[in-house]
Amino acid sequence: MTLSRSPSPRPGGGWSSPALNAAADAASPGTFSPNEISWGSVKAISDETGDYPSFASRNTGFFSRQRLKISTRLSTLWRGSSHEYSEKDDHGPKWRHTDSFRCNACSLPGICTRRGRFRLLVRLLILWIAYLLFWSSIVPIYRRSPMGGGQKFVIILGSNVEGGVMELKGAREWAIERNSIWNKKNYALKWGYQLELANLLAKKRYSHEWRESWEKGDIIREAMLKYPHAEWFWWLDLNTWIMEYDTSLQQHIFNNLESKVYRDITAYNPMNITHPLPEFWLDELGRSTEGDGNPESLNMLLSQDCAGFNLGSFFIRRSLWADRLLDAWWDPVMYEQMHMEWAHKEQDAFEYIYQSQPWVRSGVGFLPQRSINAFPPGACGDQENPTVHYQQNARDFVVNMAGCMFGRDCWSEIYYYRELSKWLSRPLWIRFKESVVDAYEGLRGNIKKT
Amino acid sequence: MQFAVPPRRSPLPIARSSRMPIYRRKQFKSIAVLAFAIFSLLFIVHHIYSLGSPSLTAAVPSGVVIVTLLDRQRLSESYVKKIVTNREDYAKRHGKAFLSHLIYIRVESNRRTRTGYTNFFASVADYADAIGDAPRTWAIAPAVRHAMAKYPQSAYFFHLSPHSLIMNPTKSLNSHILEKNKLEELVMKDASIVPPDSIIKTFAHQNEKDIEFIITQDTEDLNPGSFILKSGEFARFFLDMWFDPLYRSYNFAKAETHGLDHILQWHPTVLARTALVPQRSISSYSKDSLRASPEGTYKDGDLVIQFRGCEEVEGRDCERELEPYYKIWLGIPQRD
Repeated sequence: MTLSRSPSPRPGGGWSSPALNAAADAASPGTFSPNEISWGSVKAISDETGDYPSFASRNTGFFSRQRLKISTRLSTLWRGSSHEYSEKDDHGPKWRHTDSFRCNACSLPGICTRRGRFRLLVRLLILWIAYLLFWSSIVPIYRRSPMGGGQKFVIILGSNVEGGVMELKGAREWAIERNSIWNKKNYALKWGYQLELANLLAKKRYSHEWRESWEKGDIIREAMLKYPHAEWFWWLDLNTWIMEYDTSLQQHIFNNLESKVYRDITAYNPMNITHPLPEFWLDELGRSTEGDGNPESLNMLLSQDCAGFNLGSFFIRRSLWADRLLDAWWDPVMYEQMHMEWAHKEQDAFEYIYQSQPWVRSGVGFLPQRSINAFPPGACGDQENPTVHYQQNARDFVVNMAGCMFGRDCWSEIYYYRELSKWLSRPLWIRFKESVVDAYEGLRGNIKKT
Repeated sequence: MQFAVPPRRSPLPIARSSRMPIYRRKQFKSIAVLAFAIFSLLFIVHHIYSLGSPSLTAAVPSGVVIVTLLDRQRLSESYVKKIVTNREDYAKRHGKAFLSHLIYIRVESNRRTRTGYTNFFASVADYADAIGDAPRTWAIAPAVRHAMAKYPQSAYFFHLSPHSLIMNPTKSLNSHILEKNKLEELVMKDASIVPPDSIIKTFAHQNEKDIEFIITQDTEDLNPGSFILKSGEFARFFLDMWFDPLYRSYNFAKAETHGLDHILQWHPTVLARTALVPQRSISSYSKDSLRASPEGTYKDGDLVIQFRGCEEVEGRDCERELEPYYKIWLGIPQRD
């Protein structure tokens, strides 16, 4: 099973092959590819160039040097295995398997030897360790990059509420703040989002005009300037907890905006807002129930609680519409007349312009409350309400401890949901251990009972 | 199995070194050309779809609607008739000649040059329910909004108070104001919004493309008796805001005029789209008008004359003031 010709060139150039003449090759009908160039034509070309291909010119380039070697070896391997096939076929299919396996493994260069196999193993091990060490940091980097899509979202967290100016900030307040920021930081880091901490320190500028909590608009505008690549801005109050770290905003809402959002407020209308508007002078868009029906025109996503709009957690998109809204939101003439009635300040003002100015409606979409703004029991009445209150089995995304500063305990609520979230997203191994312990306990309980 | 001669598959050594690259090169070349062709095709198709689809499907609005708000309860039949004749004549003149002017308003406008100048006569009584206790002059905002709903294909809405006459019907709005170069020339930059010296001024750097609202001012206020609004999202936003119930209930001394002053001074998103133009370009005042300044008073050849305040002020009579100018206007066609 050896080749009759030696593949190695003679030192003086030229080959020792016996068939090296035009006639011999022309006689042989052999082809190595369907549309073969005949030897004769190539010889003509090489004659034109005039010089006899020398040893040096033929062996330039790695591949041309190695190809012969590789092809020879492959042919021997192939032939060898085919031999073994025919010989050992009688022994049953078991042989066939081992043979074909060996053959496949060896067809990768450098694996036939024991050393080669060891090397491969070491490489795989290094790859595995690198994966364990770096994968968790590579993924967020990718998500943060322009390709990953994380740049399109900014989380704005209202922190340092009034900054301890009106009331002293105690240990609990600091703990709430630390934890809440930690929660959003981790979430943003995981998905490559940007986190903007808005300092809601009581400022003379706002207190002078009696409009604390109106700075939301200004802060969102500043964030839009600061993150020029972001599209959606998610406002979150401090007393909120993101429960599901594994849910990205894209998969939760934005990949399928049309099906997640409803525009017709009559679907859930605790404030009994007239919708659609009846005024005859409005155009079709102004009087439509569903806006223009195009998810592209959704510029603000919010949820309603049992009393109406809730701006503890809402999304606003960078757009002309948003600029106009942020501009129209606060107006001195409106404020002067209404600030005694607007107990919820900017939230009430937004409710008002949603009702009074038709252009606002076509840009607003509503999300079911629990999808971005679930309440803990105690908010919105003491009775359990499955549209309002957090449902553990449904793994609701965000909890908003709305109104916890009025007679409830913000810190204990935050703590509870922090631990619950941790427990809900515990790793598989701990779940397994737990189930074993449970089973064991159950067994013991049964034994004790009997 | 012995192979006495080289296997047929294996080519001759000399041939191999020179043959393959030529063959491969050809192959690579054709693959590269094919790939390039496919990519460029995809690119072109993508480009056509991303650019072309909105402009092909959505008709580009064009044309001007003249909105006149008539209070038929207060104005006499003959007065209303004169005003209507005046506006209809203007629309008729420019309805046909419109084609030629339109082309340079906006490049895209030449796609659909169906509409010319149209008149929309609104009646104050229609909006009385919505206005409630507020002064009836607030009806301007819903009237223009109404016109926008009725003529969604029109590009511009020209509100002209019933106490005004178009004196120079040969001037079309397009060539006179809306055309790009003309507008750039007219816009008053860095001018106080409320004269003479309010601290809020129009933008010093304003692109003609951003202008969607064209208005004038007299010696004290902006003049909502004559303005041009470009149809679109901004117009809806602006009109809805202007007509907000809390503005109407605020008891602005000059109702909608002060409302307008207020909006432009407090809301930069409106100001950014607004162009102040010299008063005489769309609203020259008659000599007897309130707050008429020398620069703002009507001179022969001006587009519009406005009898500002002829209704409210004691001792003035709109009809009597209108009469001489109406006669002059009637005379113009014969002189031409």
